Amino acid sequence: MPGSTVKAKLRSDDHRVWLPVIIIVLLGLIFLALSQAVFGVRYTFTVRVVALGGAVLGVISGVLGCFAVLRRESLMGDALSHAALPGVALAFLLAGRDLSVLLIGAGIGSWIALRFVSAVLSTTRIKQDAAMGIVLAGWFAAGIALLTYIQSIPDASQAGLDHFIFGQAAAIVESDIELISIVGVVVLIALALFWKEFKLVTFDPEFASANGFRVGFINTMLSTLVVVAIVLGLQLAGVILMVGMLIAPAIAARQWTRRLNQMVILAGVFGAFSGGIGAVISAFDSDIPTGPTIIVVAFALVVFSITLAPGRGLLWSAWRQRLDRRRFAALNTLRDLYRYAIAHGGARTPVPDDFLRGIDDRGAALGLRQLKSAGRVEFGDGGWQLTQSGVELAEGALHNLRLWELYRLYADELALPMLQEDRQRDIRERLPADAIAALESRLEGRQS
Amino acid sequence: MILLERALIDLLLNVFTREELNAFLRSPQNTATIIGCLIAISGALLGSFLLLRGMSLTSDAISHTVLLGIVVAFLLMTEVFGMEGDTSSPWLIIGASLAGVGTVVLTELLFRSGLVRQDAALGLAFPLLFAIAIILVSRFAEDVHLDEDAVLVGEIGLAWANTNSHCYQHCDSVTITPEHPAATLARQCSNCRELGISPRDDGAEFVEICGNCGVYSPARAWSAGLLQNQPHLVFFPKSITVTLVMGLLSVCFVVIFYKELKLTTFDAGLAKALGFRPGLMNYGLMILVSLVAVGAFDAVGSILVIAFFIIPPAAAYLLTDRLSLMLLLSPIIGAAGAVFGYDLARGQLFGIWDVGAAIAFINQSLGLDLPARWDSSISASMVLMIFLFFLLAWVLSPRYGLISTFVRRLHQNRRFQNQVVLAHIHNHQDTERREVELRVDTLHLHFRWQPEKMRRVLARLRVMGLVRMVDQLVELTERGDAHVHEFRKVMLATHNVPDLD
Amino acid sequence: MNDKVSSALSVGDLTVAYRSKPAIWDIDLDVPEGVLMAIVGPNGAGKSTLIKAVLNLIPRAAGAVSFYGKPYERARSLVGYVPQRGSVDWDFPTSVLDVVTMGLYGKLGWLRRPGRQQREQALQALDDVGLTDLVDRQISQLSGGQQQRTFLARALVQDAQIYFMDEPFAAVDAITERAIVNILHQLKERGKTVIVVHHDLQTVEDYFDWVTLLNVEIIATGPTADVFTPDNLGRTYGGRMTYLSDGQLMPVGD
Repeated sequence: MPGSTVKAKLRSDDHRVWLPVIIIVLLGLIFLALSQAVFGVRYTFTVRVVALGGAVLGVISGVLGCFAVLRRESLMGDALSHAALPGVALAFLLAGRDLSVLLIGAGIGSWIALRFVSAVLSTTRIKQDAAMGIVLAGWFAAGIALLTYIQSIPDASQAGLDHFIFGQAAAIVESDIELISIVGVVVLIALALFWKEFKLVTFDPEFASANGFRVGFINTMLSTLVVVAIVLGLQLAGVILMVGMLIAPAIAARQWTRRLNQMVILAGVFGAFSGGIGAVISAFDSDIPTGPTIIVVAFALVVFSITLAPGRGLLWSAWRQRLDRRRFAALNTLRDLYRYAIAHGGARTPVPDDFLRGIDDRGAALGLRQLKSAGRVEFGDGGWQLTQSGVELAEGALHNLRLWELYRLYADELALPMLQEDRQRDIRERLPADAIAALESRLEGRQS
Repeated sequence: MILLERALIDLLLNVFTREELNAFLRSPQNTATIIGCLIAISGALLGSFLLLRGMSLTSDAISHTVLLGIVVAFLLMTEVFGMEGDTSSPWLIIGASLAGVGTVVLTELLFRSGLVRQDAALGLAFPLLFAIAIILVSRFAEDVHLDEDAVLVGEIGLAWANTNSHCYQHCDSVTITPEHPAATLARQCSNCRELGISPRDDGAEFVEICGNCGVYSPARAWSAGLLQNQPHLVFFPKSITVTLVMGLLSVCFVVIFYKELKLTTFDAGLAKALGFRPGLMNYGLMILVSLVAVGAFDAVGSILVIAFFIIPPAAAYLLTDRLSLMLLLSPIIGAAGAVFGYDLARGQLFGIWDVGAAIAFINQSLGLDLPARWDSSISASMVLMIFLFFLLAWVLSPRYGLISTFVRRLHQNRRFQNQVVLAHIHNHQDTERREVELRVDTLHLHFRWQPEKMRRVLARLRVMGLVRMVDQLVELTERGDAHVHEFRKVMLATHNVPDLD
Repeated sequence: MNDKVSSALSVGDLTVAYRSKPAIWDIDLDVPEGVLMAIVGPNGAGKSTLIKAVLNLIPRAAGAVSFYGKPYERARSLVGYVPQRGSVDWDFPTSVLDVVTMGLYGKLGWLRRPGRQQREQALQALDDVGLTDLVDRQISQLSGGQQQRTFLARALVQDAQIYFMDEPFAAVDAITERAIVNILHQLKERGKTVIVVHHDLQTVEDYFDWVTLLNVEIIATGPTADVFTPDNLGRTYGGRMTYLSDGQLMPVGD
């Protein structure tokens, strides 16, 4: 029964995700200790409110950012957050400075921008990137024009609308937290309820549609949730930098896991970390704008994840590549030498150095060094020449390749065991002797 | 830079008098409009190629980074090399442009790592670089003479005041030394602070300080009252020079490399095969975009500038199919936006419509009390105007506009419906199922159409003489038959082109 | 439209247009229950378009479709679909098992989550396509053939009566090809109807007992032995055919 092995594997995969979570919690504790001991920060009620607000907003944008990233709409997030500005300004002009009113205005502004982009895309030949650029610049200009107008209104200057440009964590007060948390919980519940639909539509909209899901409706719902996340996050990161807050936690999380649910949870954790810490840092000193600080923290997490994440990270893949190069350099070079020589007269024809270096300079150098020390090639006569043992080795390798090809063609017919193909490896190591014999006889039958 | 300015003024003085020129340039409107037009022209020319290459948002990335380049270059100049900081200094422009190109390369690397998609790579890179720049700006605000407002919208309205003075007659510079009669001298205690004593105490030592010594340029000397004869001066806004150089560079680049740019834009593979260097053209374009973004920074800030790159080419793209025409139209659209945008900032739309009146109307109808005087950011208004032109092009374009597309669709749909019905009749009229398939009163059921729609189509076809009714069945007339054969031939010909993918 | 209930799929006068240009044109098609049918035709002939229009994935300009005599809205649970492999992002963070479970989402409906029973069904389908060892793989780590088999398994769990497959044989390895053919025959034995967009003329006669030749219009449809003739193929491919030495046909440039 396959079920039991699957369960075991799933469990081991789950463990990997705990690693970044533990790291993040540790980092958070270290920050807490350091900030108190070294910088003498006192966690007063106000600072705690700010930290909590930052963390909650971070969770929401991190979680929904996953969908923006997976739908390849990262830059759409950028356009939509810029587009919130005129909505904020108009809401202020028409209805005053209540936070919920401003947020509703922002939401409407972004939502109209979203519709505008799809209208431009569906009725003109302008491509998505330009359409988003148009919306971004046009809406932002409208916002700036309205803001400069608002500054001419008496006692509007303390309205704090410019907080929406670069974010201002210190402006978060207790009553805001209530609002943010309520909206946030509603968003997360909606996400949980429609999780299955969101996943399916993000992965394969065509199949979803064929299965009777209303893809257009689900897409709109998801986009609306992303807009809500953007709008909430504006107080923290500001319209210009909001896109970073939206996608950086998701991109960082993506490196650690291969499961959507884990990615979403992890992005929430990363978002909370960057939002909370960024907010606290900037609350110390009015000279430090909140948005930029959060972005720098979030980007640090991205760099950390991209380099170090097990399996996918850059360090790991560089290491693996190095191993592969070492393992296969000799074999690849030998094969290239042999093919060239056969094509130009015979197995022992000298092969010009330029030819090999043209294929893969570093690999060829490494391969030639290995082959030479093993006595398979010599340099002479204006090129590299295979020795007798070199020719034998090359022919053996070629034979191996042919067997792999036959395996591919006849595996089913001969009822051979299923293997992951790896043509660099010796097929004899992977298949039982009787299977090899069957393939060999096929090969003879073909050649005669 | 100065020499170029001088040459330009010499040229202008052939046509205008000095007084006229000064009066013209001292008007904020004239200066702002000229700068706006120059940015619009260079932006639109380069932006057209960006648009066609699907790289419009690269200008966004570049403009964001350019801010970081400017701030870092500025800090380096003032703090490390002890030079005087000036955002129109060539060193700063070059440094910041390199930073712009650097970002493009960096995002490319991030993308090539295979871990992050291109949109995500861009979306990560530019907020980060912008964030760092903003942190630096707010930490070193006094040193960089920048504030967040200038970053966002620029200072195009004040560009007329930031000038270089050029002297044409009575050009005496004055050097004031402590011996000069006009020198203002003061005694200052040199060791008071060190010893913690007051200047009146014993042991205080004094040095003489000259409050106004130094070299006075003719302009400064005259305003300080040091000269008898008024020097003949021309005050030339620095931003005009910078944006003019950018404009000329862009025009030259596009004119000289027109062929190469065109080919690498439409078929990079072919261009490479023909021995052109698509990569080189690409980097050339990026360098110029960076230069223009840096040059425009003082005037319009680092975000609104992308509007000048993206929107005019997009509008022109809706108006024409020809690259050459697009390169002509998009600068015109951008420049028109700059011209009318200035008026919009002062509350006038095309000089015929008053924003104040609209605000009064809103106040009245919603019971609000908003100030009727509309006075807002010039650069943002220019962008809004360009955006308005885009909207106009989108709705009204004779070929791709919403209106003409709608009319054409309607026409095509009719022709298409005709063809569907004709083909259906053709396919069934000689088969035994014709009694089922071709009855006039049930024909609409086969298509799942409303009976009304089918009746309209049939009426149209009868008027055209393509079908006739026989015993409650429709059938093709001879003309109808010929018609079907004709469009089938056309249709199948277009579908049967060998497709070798 | 058609009153014969024995036909699994009945298409009447179906026309689909992209921007008022016909992609398929007045299609009449009746597919009897229990056949393996290939849709064959040159590139741009509208093969995928036909499938998508039948499944309501793209708007129809005219025409009616019914499955076992019922319109699509009421017959949805009878229909399984295998889209083209290239239509999704294979770097999506999800596992093979998860993708296959998605085949059951439609039956679950809104708000209900897949549970143990769905999981068992998915594992069974994966076993059928020979991917038991890979259930936990992230989908980006699959070969092209394994991806195709994953999609096939996802359609199998739907337990439909009629299956639509869009080029399942495109660029797959021999093992996968055999696996797909086995599945096709099993489905046929269980009385299912399978409609496959197919590219390779060489294998049509081996794999399918029914064939539809399509080039914007239906050229011919019926049992393979009757319909798959050089004459009909010539009409489908517009004369661009060459005869190979062993009497087989090849479209030129394919």
